[in-house]
Amino acid sequence: MIQSQFALIRRELWEHRAIYVMPLVIALLVSLMAITGQVAVSGFDHAVDMGILGATNLGDNERSAAMTVLMISLSSTFVFAMWILIAFYALDALYAERKDRSILFWRSIPLTDFETVLSKLITALLVIPLITFAIIMATHLIVLLITSMWLGARGANTWYLIWTAAPFFDNWTATLTFLMALSLWLSPFVGWFLFVSAFTKRSPLLIASLPIAILPLLEKIIFKTHVFAEAFFVRSVKMPLFAGLDNLELLFQEGEDFKMMGDSSLSLLGLLDLGRFFSSLGLWSGIVVCSLFVTAAIYVRRYRDDS
Amino acid sequence: MTSLVSAHNVSKFYGSTRAVDDVSFEIAKGKITGLIGPNGAGKTTLLKAVLGLTDCQGSLSVLGLDPFRQRKELMQNICFIADVAVLPRWIRVTQLLDFIEAVHPHFSRSKAEELLAKTKIKPDSKVRELSKGMVTQFHLSIITAIDAKLLILDEPTLGLDIIFRKEFYGNLLNDYFDGERTILITTHQVEEIENLLTDLMFINDGKIVLNASMEDLPARYVELLATGEEADAARQFKPIHEREVFGKQVLMFEDVSRDRLEGMGEVRTPGVADLFVAKIKGAAA
Repeated sequence: MIQSQFALIRRELWEHRAIYVMPLVIALLVSLMAITGQVAVSGFDHAVDMGILGATNLGDNERSAAMTVLMISLSSTFVFAMWILIAFYALDALYAERKDRSILFWRSIPLTDFETVLSKLITALLVIPLITFAIIMATHLIVLLITSMWLGARGANTWYLIWTAAPFFDNWTATLTFLMALSLWLSPFVGWFLFVSAFTKRSPLLIASLPIAILPLLEKIIFKTHVFAEAFFVRSVKMPLFAGLDNLELLFQEGEDFKMMGDSSLSLLGLLDLGRFFSSLGLWSGIVVCSLFVTAAIYVRRYRDDS
Repeated sequence: MTSLVSAHNVSKFYGSTRAVDDVSFEIAKGKITGLIGPNGAGKTTLLKAVLGLTDCQGSLSVLGLDPFRQRKELMQNICFIADVAVLPRWIRVTQLLDFIEAVHPHFSRSKAEELLAKTKIKPDSKVRELSKGMVTQFHLSIITAIDAKLLILDEPTLGLDIIFRKEFYGNLLNDYFDGERTILITTHQVEEIENLLTDLMFINDGKIVLNASMEDLPARYVELLATGEEADAARQFKPIHEREVFGKQVLMFEDVSRDRLEGMGEVRTPGVADLFVAKIKGAAA
């Protein structure tokens, strides 16, 4: 079972090369942007030198916080792109094999429909985030290396400014936790996409998005309620993973006496509250919805007979 | 003799249409059975039921297993090539070998590579870069390298040119068939497989209209080439089919002894294609 899962997941990576090509392209673009950005500001010698001086005089916590902000801003591009990738992957996963008529070949191999669909679910919720995470780490290192070479050439102490300041462990552990939690939190969407990709005869993207757009609208018109709208909205932005925060929007609010602004060190891990996350009803109800959709997808692949 | 496939009163409905209608048959080990039928006769549905791809009514046992409910176990010992089961176009030859090696307990990679070495297929080619004939060659190489008990071929050579078709059946007999393995094959090109079959089944409108071993055919079916008066005399034996060839009547008889037709014209054993037409048209008449 485990050996066949490995083989099946490897197969997914052969078929859907975008899983690693897309984050690699983003990594390349981000690195190029780091280089061009540095070349662009190189003209302003005085300002840059002042900046370096200012940074050198910051306290440990501020330098660390600055690095954290830099690293998060790099990661966020990947996270956004990753979810587009996961959505398109899940919509294609059980649709492409029917469209190119290879499904009967795959079904001629001694594997159950459960094993096959499971490998696609694991790819969407685990493999894609892990590959993205590995590429995020590499991008952090590359961008910091480029920055250090540039600053080093200007005489800055990059070991002090960058390498001792960047909170790698805190940042990476928190990023990985965040990615995994996000997978679980958004899993009902992935389940729905897999189900649509198993049954639809055409345009999986359209068929999958229609109910998400129309259900809240219909509900509002007919029942004057907004249960669906709220469910979709909460699912999209309010992941109960952050300690003392209801959603990420707070991070961007001004005037708050927020941790990041104070003298105390900024720890991303300190912002996460796994206890709250794993005890939230929203998480478990989402996992149940995901399981139902995946079971339906397995059922459709097994029983549908239209080849 | 052990039966590999055993069907009793098998039916399959699509809505109110009966695609397979109360069919019973046995396929013994080591046989090459041809399942022949016109389009829409229920061939593919019957094969799908045997492969566990669709559920059906009645009792169907393949290698002692319930094909629909024990499909994974079944697929370890069954292979199939179907016109509709195409290889994925994006995959490379080596990738597909890697994959099957990892998931199929009865696959011999070295044998597959040995067979592929005899073809023009390059290991790093993608399936989409191969011609249709080469894809079928590739598929047959994979299947030959699987130590399966039953091979099911559904129109395996559809769309291939004559050279690939001949080669396909040549390889099938030389590399795959060893007297122990069993093959169930459907095709429209009856003449091409006639010589390799040991058994024959005709299916029409979901019903089996003929089920015989090739050896029994000459004893059961006879064809008479006769001119006008002779043909009139022969009609008393109730031919199942008549046609005209170069001004002569060709009458086909079922279960009529050759001795009784002697002297009425030229007596011979019908070809499978003619027999097929006779049985199917006869059923329609």
